[in-house]
Amino acid sequence: VLLVRWSRYNPYYLEPEVRKEAYSRPESELSPEEKEERELKTLRPIKAAPNALTSSAFDDPVLSKFINMMMKDGNKVLAREIMMQTLENIKKKQVEKYHKAADGTKEEIECNPYAIFHQALENCKPVVGLASIQKGGKYYQVPIPLTDNRRRFFAMKWMITECRENKHRRTHMYEKLSQELLAAFEKEGNVIKKKHELHKMAEANRAYAHYRWW
Amino acid sequence: ACHSEKHVGQFYTLPSAHVRHLFPNGLPWCFQHQTKTFNETCIMVRQPALEVISCLKKADYSQPALRYLFYGLKGSGKTLSLCHTVHFCYTQGWLVLHVPDAHLWVKNCKELLPSSYSSSRFDQPLQATTWLRNFKITNEPFLSKIKTKERYVWTKREATEAGSPLGELVDQGISRVKSSSDVVGAVMKELRLQSSQPGADFRMAVAVDGVNALWGRSTIKRQDKTAVDPEELTLVYNLRKLMKNDWSGGAIITTLSQTGSLYTPKSAYLPQELLGERGFDSVDPFIPVSVPNYSEKEFESCYLYYTDRNWLQHPQSRTEEGKKELIFLSNRNPSMLERLCGFL
Repeated sequence: VLLVRWSRYNPYYLEPEVRKEAYSRPESELSPEEKEERELKTLRPIKAAPNALTSSAFDDPVLSKFINMMMKDGNKVLAREIMMQTLENIKKKQVEKYHKAADGTKEEIECNPYAIFHQALENCKPVVGLASIQKGGKYYQVPIPLTDNRRRFFAMKWMITECRENKHRRTHMYEKLSQELLAAFEKEGNVIKKKHELHKMAEANRAYAHYRWW
Repeated sequence: ACHSEKHVGQFYTLPSAHVRHLFPNGLPWCFQHQTKTFNETCIMVRQPALEVISCLKKADYSQPALRYLFYGLKGSGKTLSLCHTVHFCYTQGWLVLHVPDAHLWVKNCKELLPSSYSSSRFDQPLQATTWLRNFKITNEPFLSKIKTKERYVWTKREATEAGSPLGELVDQGISRVKSSSDVVGAVMKELRLQSSQPGADFRMAVAVDGVNALWGRSTIKRQDKTAVDPEELTLVYNLRKLMKNDWSGGAIITTLSQTGSLYTPKSAYLPQELLGERGFDSVDPFIPVSVPNYSEKEFESCYLYYTDRNWLQHPQSRTEEGKKELIFLSNRNPSMLERLCGFL
């Protein structure tokens, strides 16, 4: 039997718990609900954990999501390789700058590629989005609040499409991505510009905001 | 370079002037990137290199040259041990003949000329000129001191007289690209003859990386698509003459390499498997030095070095658990550790 995780499970199945800390807590620290959950887990079947989910300390859910979005034709190996090269590239550039900087400015240079990645994504997330709502035969672009997941999705999608299309043909993907991420960290670059344009459109269509009924 | 057993596991910095002269492109690609990022060249002192250095200090140089061979699993640090030993020889003032990778001479050849010296052999002008340029940068003080003993005729109008300095020979090879492989052969012959004489005031260190390329097969094909044996290449032929033990006054330090080698299985790392029968017989009385993965102390020191240079940035990698994970994932293999720490 090949261990493959299906996507449609019976709702009876429970999610797997991967983190080591959840299992090392002794009996006394648990509240009654958590005790009930533990009993439930001994009785009910559990879904198979996906391959990309690890219990290692270096696991990052946002990073895994980004790698999945960058993946083409199911080639996760290549997508992960590109991502790792991007992080290494960012780290190299920042560490070089750090070692060549004078002592006073050394503290301000951020060398951690993960911190840069998270901060750059934060800077790219739009606050409001536009939805196409039909009213009286015409479609209007109405500004609506977005959920957190949706905002994260937009940031990642813009980043990837921008790197794939708007850059010079002969540079590697990891090079393009690292340039774009560093620019987003400094709040410059095309992705930030796109976010600002979306905000301006939303501000311009502010009058139609009351067309939203939810 | 006066290292002893007490310094095992500690890093030492190579001065950048030495690096520019010794290794114009002799260091492995990843290590060059690391040097550029950290703004300094640091090699760890390890047991195999220390053994070879102590042998070099105590050897008797009137006897025929001793052959040392570094072997080990893929990525366990053979090339860097070779560089460490070569740097030691350079600081002692020896003449260094460093071939960064013998596999580059045996594959991906863009220009192949029939040799002017002997009709059955082939020349490789590009690789010969790059090697001569690097040789010139490395051994500048010796180029004016050593004189040639014989007369070499290149074409009908050009000849180098006996008694002219070595620098002229090398310049001849760099400017006249067509005869550069023959110049390489002439340089090697001169140095071999001169270092064997008891009156010579210099010692020669021949450092070859990927020595199994000299006796393996090659991917170069002739015009009619028949394969070329490495023996028929002038560069390889002359290098093999150097590897024979008939000269004295120096040492031969070599490394095996599976990564560049052609038509060998990936799991082969022992000398007998990689050199083949012919190779093993020609290198036969040699001193094998095995290069293992990092010991615990060496791993600690490498980890501390990366942390000190601000290279390990992930917050989790600085904890105990992160360290245990790194040991597990890399199996203490130096190249795997470098790749892992690259993005962590």
